[in-house]
Amino acid sequence: MNKTVLIIGVVIVAVIVFVLFGGLGKDPQHIDSPLIGKPAPPFALKAVGTGETIDLESLRGKPVIVNFWATWCVPCYEEHPTLVANARNLPNVQFVGVVFNDTEDKILRFLAERGAAYPTLIDANGKTAIAYGVGGVPETYFINPAGKIVAKFEGPLSTELLEENLAKAMK
Amino acid sequence: MTPILGRFIILASVLVATTGAFIAYAAGAKRSPEGLRWSQRFAYAFAALMVAATGVMEYALITHDFSVQYVAHVGSTQVPLWVTIVSLWSSLEGSILFWGFILGIYIAVTTWVNRNDHQEYMPFAIGTWLSCGAFFSFLIAGPANPFLTVANPPLDGPGPNPLLQNHLLMIIHPPMLYLGYVGMTIPFGFAIAALLRGRLGQSFLRPLRASLLLPWVFLTIAIMLGGWWAYEVLGWGGYWAWDPVENASLLPWLTATAALHSAIVMERRGVLKGWTVTLIQASFLLTILGTFMTRSGVFNSVHSFTQSSIGPTILVFLAAVLLFSVALLSFRIDSLEAEGQLDSAVSREGMFLVNNLFFVVLTFTVLIGTCFPLVVEAVKGKQMSVGRPYFDAMVVPIGTALLFLLGVGPALPWGKASRKEMQRALLPPFITGAVVLIAGYALAVRNPWTLLTLLFGGYAAHVTLAQMWLPLRQRMKRGDSFGPALIDTQLRRGRRRFGGYVVHAGAVIVFVAIAVSSTMRTQQEVTLTRGQSTTFAGYTVTFTGTEERAEPHRQSTIARFNITKDGKPVTTMEPRMNQYATMREPIGTPAVHSTITRDYYISIMNLQGDQAGVLIINMPMVGWIWGAVLMMGVGGLIALIPMRRRTYVVVPERAPEIDSEVVA
Amino acid sequence: MIATLFLLAFMQIKVPDAAQFVGAPQGTPLTGPQLERRTMEISSELRCPVCQGLAIGDSPSIMAANMKAQVRELLERGYTEAQILSYFEKSYGQFVLLKPKFQGVNALVWILPILALAAGFLLVVTKAKKLETAPVKAATAEEEPADDPYLARVREMVDKP
Repeated sequence: MNKTVLIIGVVIVAVIVFVLFGGLGKDPQHIDSPLIGKPAPPFALKAVGTGETIDLESLRGKPVIVNFWATWCVPCYEEHPTLVANARNLPNVQFVGVVFNDTEDKILRFLAERGAAYPTLIDANGKTAIAYGVGGVPETYFINPAGKIVAKFEGPLSTELLEENLAKAMK
Repeated sequence: MTPILGRFIILASVLVATTGAFIAYAAGAKRSPEGLRWSQRFAYAFAALMVAATGVMEYALITHDFSVQYVAHVGSTQVPLWVTIVSLWSSLEGSILFWGFILGIYIAVTTWVNRNDHQEYMPFAIGTWLSCGAFFSFLIAGPANPFLTVANPPLDGPGPNPLLQNHLLMIIHPPMLYLGYVGMTIPFGFAIAALLRGRLGQSFLRPLRASLLLPWVFLTIAIMLGGWWAYEVLGWGGYWAWDPVENASLLPWLTATAALHSAIVMERRGVLKGWTVTLIQASFLLTILGTFMTRSGVFNSVHSFTQSSIGPTILVFLAAVLLFSVALLSFRIDSLEAEGQLDSAVSREGMFLVNNLFFVVLTFTVLIGTCFPLVVEAVKGKQMSVGRPYFDAMVVPIGTALLFLLGVGPALPWGKASRKEMQRALLPPFITGAVVLIAGYALAVRNPWTLLTLLFGGYAAHVTLAQMWLPLRQRMKRGDSFGPALIDTQLRRGRRRFGGYVVHAGAVIVFVAIAVSSTMRTQQEVTLTRGQSTTFAGYTVTFTGTEERAEPHRQSTIARFNITKDGKPVTTMEPRMNQYATMREPIGTPAVHSTITRDYYISIMNLQGDQAGVLIINMPMVGWIWGAVLMMGVGGLIALIPMRRRTYVVVPERAPEIDSEVVA
Repeated sequence: MIATLFLLAFMQIKVPDAAQFVGAPQGTPLTGPQLERRTMEISSELRCPVCQGLAIGDSPSIMAANMKAQVRELLERGYTEAQILSYFEKSYGQFVLLKPKFQGVNALVWILPILALAAGFLLVVTKAKKLETAPVKAATAEEEPADDPYLARVREMVDKP
C-alpha cells in the first residue's frame, strides 16, 4: 500500500470537500458593504421639484433611510409604494431618495403617478452612488442618528425588511 | 401519460444500472465469461432506457405537452422548432437527462466495440460506468426530475432563457461540451479496471488511449465554441473571461491533454503507468467538480443554472468517488509495474515529463484561482475576487513555456542522444523562430510576451513540419514518388503520428493568434450623431440610424452603421441593445465583421435619441483561433482512425488435430 | 468642467469626492491617448458589482459606466493607480479588486502556484533520475493466455518443438 498517495489523496479530498461544502447555501450575488459601521459619506444634493439643496449632515439626530433608485429600474416600481407608505407612517425617520443617470422630467412624472412623501435628490453622474458603493438599483442604506451606516439592503424592500433594518438604526 | 411513462423509464434505468454494476463487478472478481455477457446486456439495456427517456422528453417538448413539468418550465408555442428541440439542455433538469443520454450511448458503443476483447478488464470497466450511470439516473429520478406531472397544465410556457435563443451556436456548443465531459467517464472506467485488476498491459493501452482521445477532441472544440459564442453574443469584445464555469471546462481538458502525453511515454517505455492512471481519474473527477460548480449556485457565473438542491447531492457523489479513487490508487498503484526505464532525462521522454509538470501546475493554478474566494470567505468571512488580471499574469508565462516545449520536445530524439545530435536537432529551428520574430517586430509587435510567443511559435512550427516531413523523406530516399509516399506515411501508416503533429500545428497557431489578438488589439470609444462618421483602423464608420424591434421576449434597439474603406462600401454592421423582460440590465449584441487578418467589432455602449455611444474594437487574427482549434480537433480525429488489425494465422502441419472448439 | 464646478459651488451642492477617502492626488494629471490607455488598464482591474465577474471596462451596466467615468476623472486630476483602487476598495470592499492584493491570506493565491511549480520541478527531476536507474524488467508476455483461448492454442502449437 502506497502511504504517500494515500496521505496526499486524503488531504486533497478533505480540502476540496471542506471548501465546497462551506460555499453551499451562500448567495453568490450578495456583496458585503465595507461602509457598515462607518460614518456615512456626506453629500448635499438638489431635490427635484422644490430645487432646494438637502445636506445629509443637517439630518443628524434622527435615523435616515437613503434609497438609491431610478426610473429605468423595474424593481424600483414595486418598491416605491412600500417606501411611500412607510415614510408616511414613520414621521420620526427621514427618508431620502437619490436618483442617478436620469432626467428631472422623468422623475417628476414617476413621482406624480406613484406618489411622493419625501425628497428625491439628483446625483447627476452617480458619484454619490460610487462613494456609497452602489452597484445597481434599488439599494437602500440605513443611517443612525449619529450619522453611521448601520445596514445596507440590496434589492426592493418590503415593510418587514425595512423595519428589521431600521431597528438596527434605532439602537 | 407521458410524465408517468418518463418516470417509469427512469426508475427502470436506476434499477438496471445498479443491478448491472453489481453483476459486472462480481463478474470481474470471479473472472466469469457468462457474467461478462450479462454485464454487457445490462449496459445495452441502460443505454436503451436512457435513449427512450430522452425520446419521450423530446416528444413532450415538440408536442408542447405542458403536463410535463420540464415542458411547462421551458417550453413555449411561440418559439421556432429548433429552439424547442434544444431546450432539452437549456435548463437544469433537462440537461441532466441529456447527460444520461450521452453517457448511455458512450457506454453502449464502447461495450460493443470491445465486446470480444480485454475480457479480464471489461467487467470492471462496465461496472464503473454503470455505477456512474446509476448516480445520474438517480439524480434524474429524484432531485432533478423533469418528468414530474403538473396538476393544472398551463396553455403555454415561458420558453427557454432568452440568452440561449440568441445564436445558432447554442445548438452545437452544449452537445459538444457534453460529448467531451461525459466521455471522460469511459477512460475513467478503464483506469479503474486496470487498478482493480492490478495490471495495465500493453494491449490495453489502445482502448484506453482511444477512449481518452475521442472526448478530448469534443472538449477541445466545445471550449472553442464557448469562447466564440461569448465573443459573438455578449458584447464585451473578448472570448475568455476566466469565469468559474469556463474554468470548469478547461480543467479536465488540461489533465486529459497531460494524460494523452504521458500515455505515449507509457506505450514507448512502459513507465509512468500509475501517473497516467491518476491523470485519467483526475480528468473524470474534474468533470464532476465542473458539473457541481455549474449547478450548485456556489459560484458567481454567467453560466450558472438557477440554484437548486442538486448541489449537495453532486458534492456527496464527488466526495465518494474521490475517496474511492484515492483508496484504490493507494492500494494498487504499486502493482502497476514499470516495464522499462528512461535512457536519459534530456530526451524526448524527459520533455514529456516537463510537459506534464506544466499542465498540472496550470490545472492547479486555475483551480486555486477559481476556488480561492470561496476559501477566504469560509475561513475569514471576507469577500474578495480573483479575476482576469490574476489568471492572465499566471497563465501567460506557463503557456509560453508550454509553447517552448512544443518546439523543443519533438525536436529532441528518443532516448540518449549525443551532443552533436542534440545540436543538430535543436539549433536550426531557431532560424525560423528568429525570422518570425523579426517579421512580427516589423509589423509593430512590441509586447515582450508576444514577441517571445512569435519566437517560440516559429521554432515549434519548424519542428512540427520537420517531424511530419521525416518519414516522407525516408520513403522518398528509398525510391517512392512524392504523392504515394505522402499518403502512405501520413495517412496510412503514420496516422497517429501525423494526427498528433496536426494537433501541434494547430496549437502553435492558437498560441500565436491568442497572443496577437490580445496584445495588438486597439479600440476606440466614440459618440456619433446620426449621419456622423469616424475613422478607425482603416475603416470609416457612419452612423445611419436606429430601429426599434419588439419581440415577444425582448425589446431591441438596432443601430445601423455603414462601413467603407477608401470610399468603397465594405458592409453594414448592426449591433443591438436588448432589454429582456426577465433581466435587470440590458444586454448588448455586438456586430462583428471578420476578415482573414482581423475582426472589426462594434458594440453599443449607450443609445440616446439621435446619439450612439459605441465601442469599436480592431482585433487582429481572431478568426485564426477558431480555425486552428478546429484543426486541432481534426488532428485528433485523424489519430483516432484505427489501424487495420493484423491477424496472424498459424497453420499447423497436422491439420486434423486442430481443436474444433478453439477454431470456432 | 470649470463651469460645472462653478455652478455647483454656487448652488452649494456637495458630492462625495475621492479626496475624502484617499487624500490629495499624488501623481501627475494625464491627458490624451495616455489618459485613455490608463483608463482602460485600470478599468480592467475593477469588478462590476452587479455583473458576474466582468470588469467595469467590459460591462454595459450603468453603474459600471459611471465608475469608468470616475476613473478617467481621477486620472485627469492626477490620482495614482494605487489611490484610485484604494478609493473603490473603501466604498465597495475588496470584492471590487479583480487582482487580489498581495496582503495577508490573499498572498497565498500568488504564492501557491509558484510553490507548486518549484515542488513539481523537484519531483520531476527526482522521478527522471529514478527512471534512469530503474531495473529493466524482461519483456513479459503481453496478456495472460487465458485472455484469448485461440491465441493460447496458437502459441501452444507454435512453441511445440
